[in-house]
Amino acid sequence: MPVRNQPGWYKDAIIYQIHVRTFFDANNDGIGDFQGLTQKLDYVQQLGVDTIWLMPFFPSPLRDDGYDISDYTSVHSRYGALEDFKTFLATAHDRGVRVIIEMVLNHTSDQHPWFLESRSSRDNPKRDWYVWSDTDARYRGARIIFLDTEMSNWAWDPISKAYYWHRFFSHQPDLNYDNPAVREEMWNVMKFWLDLGVDGFRLDAVPYLIEREETNCENLPETHAIVRDLRKRVDEQYPGTMLLAEANQWPADLCQYFGEGDEFHMAFHFPLMPRMFMGLRLEDRKPITEILQQTPEIPPSCQWSLFLRNHDELTLEMVTDIERDYMYDIYAQDKSMRLNLGIRRRLAPLLDNDRRRIEIMNGMLMSLPGTPIIYYGDEIGMGDNIYLGDRNGVRTPMQWSGGWNGGFSAADPESLYSPPILNPVYGYQAVNVLSQNRTHHSLLSWMKRLISVRRSTPVFGSGSIEFLHPANHRVLAYVRQLGKETVLVVNNLSSAAQAVELDLGRYRGNILIEMFGKNVFPRISDVPYLLTMGPYQFYWFRLRRI
Amino acid sequence: MPEETLLSDDFLRQLINVGEVDILIGLPTHNNAGTIQQVTHAIQAGILKCFPRDRAVIINADGGSRDGTPQMVTGVSIDDVWSASKVYALRTLHAVSTEYGSSPEPGRALRTILAAADLLQAKVCVIISADEATIEPDWLQKLVKPVYRDNFDLALPIYQRQRFEGLLMRNVLYPMVRSIYGCRVREPFASDFAISSRLATDFLNQDLWNQDWVRLGPEISLTTAAITGSYRICQAFLGVRAHTDPSATDLILALRRTVGALFASLDANFPMWSKISSSQPVPLIDGTCAITPEAININRERLRDMFANGVSELDPVFQYILSPQTLADLHRIAALDLNEFRYPPELWVRTVFEFAASFHQSVINRDHIIQALGPLFRGRALSFLEEISDATEEQIEMNVERLCGEFERLKPYFLKVWNEKR
Repeated sequence: MPVRNQPGWYKDAIIYQIHVRTFFDANNDGIGDFQGLTQKLDYVQQLGVDTIWLMPFFPSPLRDDGYDISDYTSVHSRYGALEDFKTFLATAHDRGVRVIIEMVLNHTSDQHPWFLESRSSRDNPKRDWYVWSDTDARYRGARIIFLDTEMSNWAWDPISKAYYWHRFFSHQPDLNYDNPAVREEMWNVMKFWLDLGVDGFRLDAVPYLIEREETNCENLPETHAIVRDLRKRVDEQYPGTMLLAEANQWPADLCQYFGEGDEFHMAFHFPLMPRMFMGLRLEDRKPITEILQQTPEIPPSCQWSLFLRNHDELTLEMVTDIERDYMYDIYAQDKSMRLNLGIRRRLAPLLDNDRRRIEIMNGMLMSLPGTPIIYYGDEIGMGDNIYLGDRNGVRTPMQWSGGWNGGFSAADPESLYSPPILNPVYGYQAVNVLSQNRTHHSLLSWMKRLISVRRSTPVFGSGSIEFLHPANHRVLAYVRQLGKETVLVVNNLSSAAQAVELDLGRYRGNILIEMFGKNVFPRISDVPYLLTMGPYQFYWFRLRRI
Repeated sequence: MPEETLLSDDFLRQLINVGEVDILIGLPTHNNAGTIQQVTHAIQAGILKCFPRDRAVIINADGGSRDGTPQMVTGVSIDDVWSASKVYALRTLHAVSTEYGSSPEPGRALRTILAAADLLQAKVCVIISADEATIEPDWLQKLVKPVYRDNFDLALPIYQRQRFEGLLMRNVLYPMVRSIYGCRVREPFASDFAISSRLATDFLNQDLWNQDWVRLGPEISLTTAAITGSYRICQAFLGVRAHTDPSATDLILALRRTVGALFASLDANFPMWSKISSSQPVPLIDGTCAITPEAININRERLRDMFANGVSELDPVFQYILSPQTLADLHRIAALDLNEFRYPPELWVRTVFEFAASFHQSVINRDHIIQALGPLFRGRALSFLEEISDATEEQIEMNVERLCGEFERLKPYFLKVWNEKR
């Protein structure tokens, strides 16, 4: 059972991102559900992760995979009932697994009763719960996020004969956070779930809460004030609750969401992720170290959230034009792989199913400063289906076995919410949990070992980082330190073997203990420490003075 | 392997850190502090603009600079230590410097760079002169692209020269290489050029690096190696060139590095060039030969005097080198008034061919032969300058073509004197 009020727990956490719909179908209707998820908690526990992040499971028309919520305080009937959620939550807690859930603050579905009321007439009491205008010329400084589908941030409502504001799809009207009643009601929503026992929220689309003329309507001071208010209430009434910001912004703007330790506990480091892919393909550490050096310090109680892939496209918003062109050419030559400003692919296909590249990317994910998030299925190397629309290609059923529907559901294959991956390379007959559990050298077994080693020391979650700058730019090396614990991480980003000399003079006298095999490496002396590394190899060394 | 003894341990260590590259930019230097920053920044800009995704390295082979040149080269590196003032780049750009000796020696500099290119498996190696005061970032693309993208093995430059520049090139090197080797390369002695990995490796492994003429002027040897090896050669128009190299004003040194190296190349390649009776054009990429109209003051009288004095003082030497007819003709024109002075193309070609044959036969010390050509070249230069002083660009080009025609017409004569017993 996780300790409810333990401060800073998120810094040492390893998060596993799951969509209820995709994980396991217990009632054989072709759609994953909470009962199925509860049955698979053993798997989650054995993987070694200690936190689950659930994507939206609320009632919704499902026009944006649940991010278009029509009822904030219930469970979509496809996934079960609220009681099923409670059972899941209690079972997870019994296994020491925390649960954070999605909270879409910025907008609702256009089918939400609030919006239906708001659009019903101009003098409805909920009219001011959304952002209405008689003209579509307001807030012209705001960019359009879903470039592939939306022409404007305003949509015409034929019922009330006015435009409403939406930063995402036009069926997702933005709530009006200038209205105190909205702010209070959304706090009530959060309280509802906190009272049930959830351990935190991933707050979606945070930068867009407030709109102002002559601005780009992102990251405004008033938005930060709202976040600070939520944080204050959480700390006072539900201490130990973690707030995770989804703010796809440059590091300097992202850092503002930590405030002075009084806004979010965690925030996704969006700019880092594409640069990890870039660095690997360029065989050059520069993109990675450069963005991390540009990342300002954050308050001690705060933490970055790191990820390789998630339910969305691999976003390329936070890269330069030249970097975006490079990423497209390298990772999405087929134009159907591209969506908005990103690449809608899973980890394994992005890396050509190269086990060594998958390993080193996960190695970096687990050793760079931050809390790692693993997207369901990536731990077994699941593939994607670019022929499914939108981002559905990376949201296919979890592959549990080589049997009927990949073990996901006993329903007729035709009735599944999505076709499972079937091709000979990534299909469930080739890639599944059951077969990978049977071999020590499978990706799944390796991932468990990696997570176990990561969890053997708090240095990765809470320690400082100091980059080494070996002359060999293909090698990314850094020292993580926490108290007397020091870990040296060395990654060979190259597809070829490399020799590297590390300046470890300040650690002279220490021996290196390789953390996976526990083997001892030679003592550090005054001369540069020479390592030879195989293609895409990485080392984690614990430094010990004996 | 050549690189085993050529590369110092420290240089090797730096190369290991660089690893495999696509483009290697070689910078031979010696006390080039005045221009090197401009050159390296142009190279850096060229890489970032035209080859941002490619793995590139700048290799500086320095001949004992005492003015901080190598430090200026390495300062252009782009590494992962972020600095707001730095230009934006996708990749790390290494700039590595090594001192191959305490005094400049172009052959060792080029050999060091080619050995590095071989070791780093560079797909293209481009050499840029460190004293190019007018270099532009697009020079890099113009030289690299034909080799990197279009499968040429050697991309030689064509510059927009001033009217009175490139006299040696236009009166000896171009026409002679054209007639002897049958290949119309305008700049056979190039200080800016790009070569493919296969030509670089082939040239590096040739057993010629200890020859004095190659040590002094490896560029001619590279050009002739590319021609005789049937490598694909092209020419790229770079634009205006303004040299600041003080050694460029040392005629004897220039003759050693160019004409000496060219004459020396003839011995080994006789079986090939002796069969060639015509010349073929070389593809020209992106431009044409061009001449800028700026006039430069020439001391014609001094040139004529140096020629006449040379003919008189070196007569005993010329008797070994030149035929009686040629020597008599030289004495005749040496006696002409300045305003009547002409060194006709036919006589000049005979002169050069007889010098080349004498060089082959080593009738006297080969270096003395090259030095003896100095005053005669001044006479030819004076005559050429008179011919083109008021000429249009087209007329100048026709003049050069006429001289080339003479070289090609008299090639049988060259074969005759080449084989004569003296």
